[in-house]
Amino acid sequence: MTREYVDGATAIARAALRSGCDFFAGYPISPATPILLHMLRELPKVGGVGIEAEDEIGAISMCIGAAVAGARPMTATSGPGISLYSENIGLAIMGETPLVIVDVMRMGPATGGATTTAQGDVQFIRWGTSGGYPIIALSPSSVGECYLLTQRAFDLAERLRTPVFLLTDKDMVMSMATVDVDEYHDIPIGSRPRVPPAKPPAADGTRINAVTGRPDGRLRPEETYLPYDFEPIDVIPPTSPFGGPHITRFTTSCHDEHAFLTKDPQKVARLNEHLRAKIESRRHELEFGLVDRCEDAQVLFISYGTTARAMREAVARTRAEGIPASALTLHTLWPVPEQLIIDAARGHTRVVVAELNHGQYAREVERILYRHAALHRLPPPTIISLTRVDGRLLTPEQFLAELPSPQS
Amino acid sequence: MMVVATPAVREEKPDLSQMQLVYKRPESLTEAMTHYCPGCTHGIIHRLIAEVLDELGVRERTIGVAPVGCAVFAYEYFNIDGCEAAHGRAPAMATGLKRVMPDRVIFTYQGDGDLASIGGNEILHACARGEKITVIFVNNAIYGMTGGQMAPTTLPGMVTTSSPYGRDVAVQGEPLHITEMLAGMPGVAYAARRSLHSVAEIRKAKKAIRLAFQAQLQGLGLGIVELLSSCPTNWRLDPSDALDFIREQMVPVYPPGDFKVHEALKRS
Ligand SMILES: Cc1ncc(C[n+]2csc(CCOP(=O)(O)OP(=O)(O)O)c2C)c(N)n1
Ligand code: SF4
Repeated sequence: MTREYVDGATAIARAALRSGCDFFAGYPISPATPILLHMLRELPKVGGVGIEAEDEIGAISMCIGAAVAGARPMTATSGPGISLYSENIGLAIMGETPLVIVDVMRMGPATGGATTTAQGDVQFIRWGTSGGYPIIALSPSSVGECYLLTQRAFDLAERLRTPVFLLTDKDMVMSMATVDVDEYHDIPIGSRPRVPPAKPPAADGTRINAVTGRPDGRLRPEETYLPYDFEPIDVIPPTSPFGGPHITRFTTSCHDEHAFLTKDPQKVARLNEHLRAKIESRRHELEFGLVDRCEDAQVLFISYGTTARAMREAVARTRAEGIPASALTLHTLWPVPEQLIIDAARGHTRVVVAELNHGQYAREVERILYRHAALHRLPPPTIISLTRVDGRLLTPEQFLAELPSPQS
Repeated sequence: MMVVATPAVREEKPDLSQMQLVYKRPESLTEAMTHYCPGCTHGIIHRLIAEVLDELGVRERTIGVAPVGCAVFAYEYFNIDGCEAAHGRAPAMATGLKRVMPDRVIFTYQGDGDLASIGGNEILHACARGEKITVIFVNNAIYGMTGGQMAPTTLPGMVTTSSPYGRDVAVQGEPLHITEMLAGMPGVAYAARRSLHSVAEIRKAKKAIRLAFQAQLQGLGLGIVELLSSCPTNWRLDPSDALDFIREQMVPVYPPGDFKVHEALKRS
C-alpha cells in the first residue's frame, strides 16, 4: 500500500489532467487558488493552455471559447467568482457547452470569510443563472472522491454537453490528508457526440484545403448538418468542430435547428424543453452517493462534502457503542438523487440532514420524502436540519446529539 | 371588376457571353437578408470584412465572434463559422478560441457600448496579452440595439434617450477615445480609426480592415479598427443626413488616423 500526504486541490487538478483537460482559465480567489496554480504549472507541460484571466467573466468566457473550439476546459473559483460567472453559465447551458466548474465554497455573503469554510452555495449554483435550467453538481467528501468525481464531472460534461459543477469547500480542497493511492480510480471519459467526418473529396478533383484538411467550398449547415436537431427531445446533438467540415454556428440566443435566432413559439418551447429533458431523462444515470444502512437503525444521517466526514465518524462511534445509525453521503447534489434518498430513508423514522448553511439541502430532502410518503400513504419521517454557520465544522458530537437518547 | 391592361413584354435575351461580372456577393457573405435599418452602415462593414476575408483567402478558417448588440445576428450573415458571446466578452471568448486553434483566423465584431463600456476590461486585457485576433469596433456613438441610450462614445451635448438634456461632459464625462488608449500597448500591432461617410472613406476603411487581419496572419499581435458608423434610427436622421452627421459631428471628435502600425505591416 502506497500512501501520500496530499490535499483535495491536487487531487482535483490531477484528475482533470488525467481526464484530458487541456484548457484552464481562472482568476485568483481563496480557497480555489491552489487549483489555479496547479493547472497553470502543469498544463504547459502537456501542451495545454492555462490562463490567469483578467477577471472571472473573462475566465469563463475563455473557457467557453475553448470548449466550442473542441477543448476540455475547467475553471475554479469561490462564491464571489460564481456571481461573476452567472451570465456565462447560462451561455454554456444554452450553447450546450461542456465545461467543468469547481466551486470551492467559502463563508458568504459577499467577501464573507475568505478562508472560512461553508456550504452556502448549494442552491446558488443550482439557480445561479437566469432562466432556471438544470445543471449537474457533484460533491466530493474525501481526497479520493475529489479525484473520482472530477473525472466523473468531465465525463458528464462531455457526454451531456453541459456545465458540471464540482461543489467543494475550503476544508475539502485545502486540508492535507494521508491518502492510499489505490483510492484514485480512473474512469473512462466520454466525448461529446460529433457528426461523422466529412466524406473524402469527390472524384471531381475538389481541392483539399491544406489547413483545414477538408474540401474547399464547404457546404452550408442547412444542407448537411443541423447543429440543434432535437429528435428525440432529450438527444445530445452532435457537434461539428469549428473549422471542420461544416460551417458551424454557436449561439446562445433562442435558436432553431440551424442555430439561427428564432421567436417561433413552437421552436422556442422545443429548445427549452430539450434543455430540461436532456438532464431530467438521465436522472437515473446521475444518482451517485454512498449508502451505509444499518437495518435496525431509527436514524438516517444525510450529508455531503467536508461535513460528511464528521457524519461517518459519528456513525462509526455510535455503532461501536451498540447504537445503530445509517448514513448517506451524497455525491450528486443536482439533479437531486431522489431514488437514492428514498431508498436510503426507507424504514427510518428520523432523517437528519447536516450541512454548513441554513438548511439548503434539507428542504430538498423534505420535498422528496414528504412527497414519497404522501404518494404511498406512509407516515413521513421526522426531518431535522442540522446546521452550523459560524465558520467551524459540524463535529461528530453534534451528530451524536441527534440520536434518540437510550431511555426514549 | 377592374381590367388591367398588360403591356406587351418584349422578349430580349441578353448575350451573357459578352458580359463581364464586375460586382458580386463575396463568398464570405450568406444570401440572408440583413435586419439592419435603412442607411445603417453595419451592412457596409459586413461587406468590407467579407471582401477582405475573400481576398486574403482565409474564409475557410475564419471564426467570427459577435456579442449582443445590433450585430448579434452577424453569424447568420457571414458564410463562416460564427460564435455568439455575452455582452462585452467577445475578446475573452476569442482568446479561448485562438489559443486552442492558433491556425484559425479569429475576429470580434463589437459595438461601442459593448467594447468601450461593459467590455472595457476584456478588450484591455486582450490587448495587454497581445492576443493574435482582429477586432472590428463599430462606433456609432450610441447603444443601438437597446434604443439609443448614451454610450461612453456619445458626443458632447448629444441628445440620446438616456441623456435627454444632451451629454453634459461635466457630469457624464468626455467621449472615450479607446482606440488611441489601446494603441499605446505593446500587444497591439495595428490600431486605426476610419470613417464610413463617403465612398473614398469606405475604401480607406477596407484597407485598414485588411491590415488588422494582416497583423493577425503575420502573428504580430492584436489588430483593431474603429469604424465611425451611422445609426440613422436612433439619431433620428434620414440616411444621407446620418452620413453628414458622421462627417460634420463625429469626425472632429474622433479623427480618423493610424495610431499604431507595426513595422512589419508598413513593409507589406
Ligand atoms: C449583461 C447585459 N447587459 C445589458 C444587455 C442589453 N444590451 C444588449 S445590446 C446592448 C448595447 C448595444 O450597443 P452597442 O454595443 O453600441 O452596439 P449597437 O447595438 O449600437 O450596434 C445592451 C446594453 C445585455 N444583453 N447583457
Ligand atoms: S438601430 Fe442603429 S445601429 Fe442598429 S441596425 Fe438600426 S441603424 Fe443600425
